[in-house]
Amino acid sequence: MKENKERIVLDVAYQPQVRTNTDTRRIMLDVIIALLPAVAVAVWQFGLYPLAVIAVSMVSAAFFEWAYRKLMKKTNTVGDLSACVTGILLALTLPSTAPLYLPVIGSLFAIVVVKQLYGGIGKNFLNPALAGRAFLLASYALVMGRYAVPNALSGAVDGVTMATPLAELYDSHAMPVYYSLKSLFVGTIPGCIGEISAAALLLGGIYLIVRKVISWRIPVSFIGTVALLTLIFGGEGFSNVDWMLYNVLSGGLMLGAIFMATDYATSPVTLNGQLLFGVGCGALTVLIRYFGGFPEGVSYAILIMNLCSWAIDKAFHRHQFGVSREDIAAAKQARKAAKEAAK
Amino acid sequence: MSHTFKGGVHPNYMKAPEIPATVIAPPAQVVIPMAQHIGAPCKPLVNVGDYVKMGQKIGENPAPVSAPVHASVSGKVVAIEPRPHPLGDMIMAVVIENDYQDTPCEDLAPLTEEQLKDPDAILDRMREAGVVGMGGAMFPTAFKVRGGIGKVDKLIINGAECEPYLNGDHLTMLNFPQQLLRGIELVRIASGVEKAYYGIEKNKQDAIDLLNSLNPAQYGIEIVPEEVKYPQGGEKMQIKAVTGREVKPGQLPAGVGCNVVSTRTAYAVYQACYEGKPVIERIVTVAGSALKAPVNGLTRVGTPFGYLAEQCGGFVKPPRKIVLGGPMMGICATSFDAPTIKGTAGVLFFTEEEDKHVDNPTCIRCGKCITVCPMNLEPVFMYMYYSKGDFANMEKYHITDCFECGSCSYNCPARMPLTHAFKTAKLMFQAKAAAEKAKAEAEAAKEAQK
Repeated sequence: MKENKERIVLDVAYQPQVRTNTDTRRIMLDVIIALLPAVAVAVWQFGLYPLAVIAVSMVSAAFFEWAYRKLMKKTNTVGDLSACVTGILLALTLPSTAPLYLPVIGSLFAIVVVKQLYGGIGKNFLNPALAGRAFLLASYALVMGRYAVPNALSGAVDGVTMATPLAELYDSHAMPVYYSLKSLFVGTIPGCIGEISAAALLLGGIYLIVRKVISWRIPVSFIGTVALLTLIFGGEGFSNVDWMLYNVLSGGLMLGAIFMATDYATSPVTLNGQLLFGVGCGALTVLIRYFGGFPEGVSYAILIMNLCSWAIDKAFHRHQFGVSREDIAAAKQARKAAKEAAK
Repeated sequence: MSHTFKGGVHPNYMKAPEIPATVIAPPAQVVIPMAQHIGAPCKPLVNVGDYVKMGQKIGENPAPVSAPVHASVSGKVVAIEPRPHPLGDMIMAVVIENDYQDTPCEDLAPLTEEQLKDPDAILDRMREAGVVGMGGAMFPTAFKVRGGIGKVDKLIINGAECEPYLNGDHLTMLNFPQQLLRGIELVRIASGVEKAYYGIEKNKQDAIDLLNSLNPAQYGIEIVPEEVKYPQGGEKMQIKAVTGREVKPGQLPAGVGCNVVSTRTAYAVYQACYEGKPVIERIVTVAGSALKAPVNGLTRVGTPFGYLAEQCGGFVKPPRKIVLGGPMMGICATSFDAPTIKGTAGVLFFTEEEDKHVDNPTCIRCGKCITVCPMNLEPVFMYMYYSKGDFANMEKYHITDCFECGSCSYNCPARMPLTHAFKTAKLMFQAKAAAEKAKAEAEAAKEAQK
């Protein structure tokens, strides 16, 4: 025993000596798991091709992450799965007819320009997947706007592509009969690969909240703001409640509010700041939908709010335990008095 | 209403109170450090070669913030020299060779009926018996209680035992409920308050039921069941949970009329007053994945860690760390020869399994540290400014209010060394303040010379 002890080298560290099992990799894996219902609905409505888009997107995102860091002689971070999450999220914002070069180009922009040039995970200030989508939307507007007819509607309409419910909502101010609220909720509608089913995305959102990967603050304030504003302002040809429900269930709102706006690196970390961030995203979305050139405003709303995250966090710096409202007011008073005295 | 605080984490508790408290046989030699409390270290009262009895006072310092130390076995003093201290460094210690007779020392007689009702007698006995905060802080209890007289209207006994692994408080509640309640009553009388509140986390429901069945009201005690959450046992969190009062930054608990005393301390007060027994032993949880057979063992003060490990059947895997206290706030010992002291609630032998170290931790800005911080701080920004060495912003983000509970680091998926950074930053602030003070004094001296 005695000799044995002398050979043992003891580590010394400050507390805590134990850590939770949930690490970055586990969190990213949870996000991928939460997206599976949406992927399943995509396969149900668009066949197996979307799987190819998703696979190409994930693999190329991971490859660009690995290659960039290898080239720059940095540590390999592919293992944390964050690049895979960017890849799958980017693929889910593409139309189901997207040619396979789209996700490759999108991933290159998202991973290298948006994420790695600013230092990699946690350092980027724009959501990589959304920035990649915005890049593709600007560069390949035609292919990005081609939405395939879902399997559920294959007999009901002519042609291979059709207008999304959101486009109908804002362009013709009338809903074709096959776009019922139920079909929007279940996901039997045209649209981007991952955005069609509100139900599947909500299921994923609940999973993420239960697993404590995200908090309720951003999704609830985001969706709540869109609901409130559309309910108040209404739309031509619809009752206000119908207009509100169509707005909430169509477009990329669910995907954006649950999976994009909650991106760690680009959203505020302060609790009240997250609420304001969600409200801002919601207000901008409604503004763009009502007055913008594009039918959909979720992506740009989130990207604009990403730029405000840092300022929001600074503004919502909170007071420590034991400091009451009266204390804060008293301190403010004292500062004011000191200023007056200095004058 | 649920009694708790905002924030906190739920670590893997790893508790094993079903292992009954066993008695760890005293070692052949005990090492009694002269500093087992916050405050002035003791001066040895004995010489090499002296024979000492079990419980005999062997070290003392007349300073107000201090506590005497006592021999935990009977036998011959074989050395008085600096020895490895559990908190690091080499500290003067009295080494006693055990004669295995446990010849008791009769210096401290049990208090009489009248004395048991006299606050001064109780406080004097606390001091004489070397009672310190045995939750780990080791602040001399008599000084703390005396300082609170007149200011404190609510005495709080801390039975949260929120640290993983540790079971000593729980087992004390189960095995000595009557004695414990009497001990709390003594602290209450000494504090000069009408009522003591005993906050216990609900994961010790059996203990709560047992204590309630003994009619705690007759001792002026109310049991307060609390939500199970770390760091419920933190002083400020405990006060918030029981009374709803919040201790302001820089304020002492007495400032909001509260004093917090730990379970084990209250039991030590009972032993000192009713049995005339000084603090020479306590239940120590010896556990960790390196050990063959973990125990909750009644252990004499001064038992070396290496000996404790042997008593637990030795190691099944090579240990990498010796952690003192619980794993959330416990610090690492640097030597197998360092002994247990009054504040040692646990000795954990950890292997690489517990260590989830990563080489290049990168913050992913998830903000989980903010949601768990019981002090309402923002560790993600504190760490950022710490890495930049930005003192002004560290202060603005209240880095010195951190009490190093470890919740943020525990919960960090990126494994950032948050608590480590804040502890270091606090030391940097102390050093800076000291340097500024020295500079000001030197300048004042210069002025005076002119």
